[in-house]
Amino acid sequence: MTRVLIVDDHSIFRSGLRADLDDTIDVVGEAADVGSAVAQIAALEPEVVLLDVHLPGGAGGGGAEVIRSSAALLDRVRFLALSVSDSAEDVVGVIRAGARGYITKGSSGAEVSAAVASVAGGDAVFSPRLAGFVLDAFGAVAGEQAVADDELDRLSAREREVMRLIARGYAYKEVAADLFISIKTVETHVSAVLRKLQLSSRHELTAWALERKLL
Amino acid sequence: MTTTSAHATTRPGLMTRPRRVIVSGVAAGLAEHLGWPVATVRVLLVVLVLAGGAGILLYLWLWALTPLRPADVDDDSGVRRAVPGAAILVSLAGVAALVAAIVPRYGLPTPLVPGALETVLFALAAVAWSLGFDRSDPGRSARYGVVVRSTAAGLMILLGIVLLLREPPALTAVVAVLLIVLGSGVLFIPRVVTLWSEVLAERAGRVREEQRAEIAAHLHDSVLQTLALIQNRAGASSEVARLARAQERELRDWLFAGTGPVSEDLATELREIASEIELEYPVRIDVVTTGETTVASAAIVAAAREAMLNAARHAGGEVSVYLETSPAATDVFVRDRGPGVDLASLPDDRLGIRESIIGRMLRVGGTARVSPGAGGAGTEVHLHLDSEREPTP
Repeated sequence: MTRVLIVDDHSIFRSGLRADLDDTIDVVGEAADVGSAVAQIAALEPEVVLLDVHLPGGAGGGGAEVIRSSAALLDRVRFLALSVSDSAEDVVGVIRAGARGYITKGSSGAEVSAAVASVAGGDAVFSPRLAGFVLDAFGAVAGEQAVADDELDRLSAREREVMRLIARGYAYKEVAADLFISIKTVETHVSAVLRKLQLSSRHELTAWALERKLL
Repeated sequence: MTTTSAHATTRPGLMTRPRRVIVSGVAAGLAEHLGWPVATVRVLLVVLVLAGGAGILLYLWLWALTPLRPADVDDDSGVRRAVPGAAILVSLAGVAALVAAIVPRYGLPTPLVPGALETVLFALAAVAWSLGFDRSDPGRSARYGVVVRSTAAGLMILLGIVLLLREPPALTAVVAVLLIVLGSGVLFIPRVVTLWSEVLAERAGRVREEQRAEIAAHLHDSVLQTLALIQNRAGASSEVARLARAQERELRDWLFAGTGPVSEDLATELREIASEIELEYPVRIDVVTTGETTVASAAIVAAAREAMLNAARHAGGEVSVYLETSPAATDVFVRDRGPGVDLASLPDDRLGIRESIIGRMLRVGGTARVSPGAGGAGTEVHLHLDSEREPTP
């Protein structure tokens, strides 16, 4: 059983999601705004927090603010961002704050459950769209990779391959089969990309983050 | 005159004034209406003016009550006046001001300096003419209007100052102050009005923007969430979910209009095709695009559309579309998780894949590959097209 906290400001959505999640998930609580979310996370220490990107309350920082306020717990509590909009720009803020992945609210209960399980297991959850954004942000498509000398600012050839396959709609299992590597290796690559996405100072990412006052 | 007989047989139309005129078009319009020579009408009007001013009344009456002739389609709408009325009026104001300035100081029966009131009237008439007539007259430049109005204002201010410096009798002093006030008004009021209307327009724009943002925030928080929930509960490929998804997409496009590029590039085209297909078939198409935007090549758009249609028709469920545009080439991947397709076993009359996808790409110098998806599940179509570039030596 994975202990999960659902943070979303819409009670209908919370109850709907709660009913849809499968048996492996134990919803230990719900929160509707930044303040109560931070308090609940500290009190309950759930394994995974399903976190809406847009949240009222606090200083107006939404989901990213919840993660930053709970930074001390980041090694025990993992965050999975939920967003109604699939524009990656909306999501990269929470990813850079420390979320381990992102799925859209249109996803089915089974998909959300699977994503929660991966995040709880320490893996990153990338949607095809987020993978596409990563490829763009690291200049992997435009071919300007070689210019970046900082290891954090570029993707390795294998990571690029993995991202491309995920963007093409491949599941981890299928990526592994296509590249003749193990699923564990795929997960390692994805986690590495997630770390780079969180730590990179690449121009596109920093400009983007500055614009939204995330840095 | 022939025109007279023509008028006699048909019911005479209403008198209208032409658009290319000397002063106001009354004389020309009247002459045309009556079928008389214009010169006759003019002489008659002047004679009537001598008869106790009746001509002036008739002129003004006709001017006020006769409509303008409708503008020709290709003609500009303004009335072109041959006589520079504003300039003449300013000149008259100048003459009056000169008279007022040089008449002897004292020894006049009235306390009012002759010419002062006339200066005010002529100058104001010039300003009125300039604002009322010349601004819509395509034959008069904006610069001309500014010169006329500044001259009129300058005349009034100057005369006012000259009169005041003479230590005039009370009534003249009042007129002098009036001159200065009116002159300054003519100079500055247009600027103040412009500033004011700019401020008003800016405020209105800000209010509109705020309202829009408020509506967008509200819709984002309520309707979009509900639509997401509907999709969530109804199952990805059900009818209800598809409708909700289409609505969500439309609403999002409207809410965030202007934030994304609006040009017709390949990515936009693929998204549009995807939403069209989603409306018709029980399928969810996820379009992911990377790389710089490019102009859509017709062949690759058509081939991608065919591939997406095939996926929607024969596989359904979830379809992934991935577009990658690098400087060297354009790649489109369309994958589904359906029963898969075996090209060799397809009957010859099935033109969908062979012609519309593979043949089409070959004809423009690209390639198309149809293969089983990863792990043998479903189908993946890969379209590849090298960029057209200058042959490098």
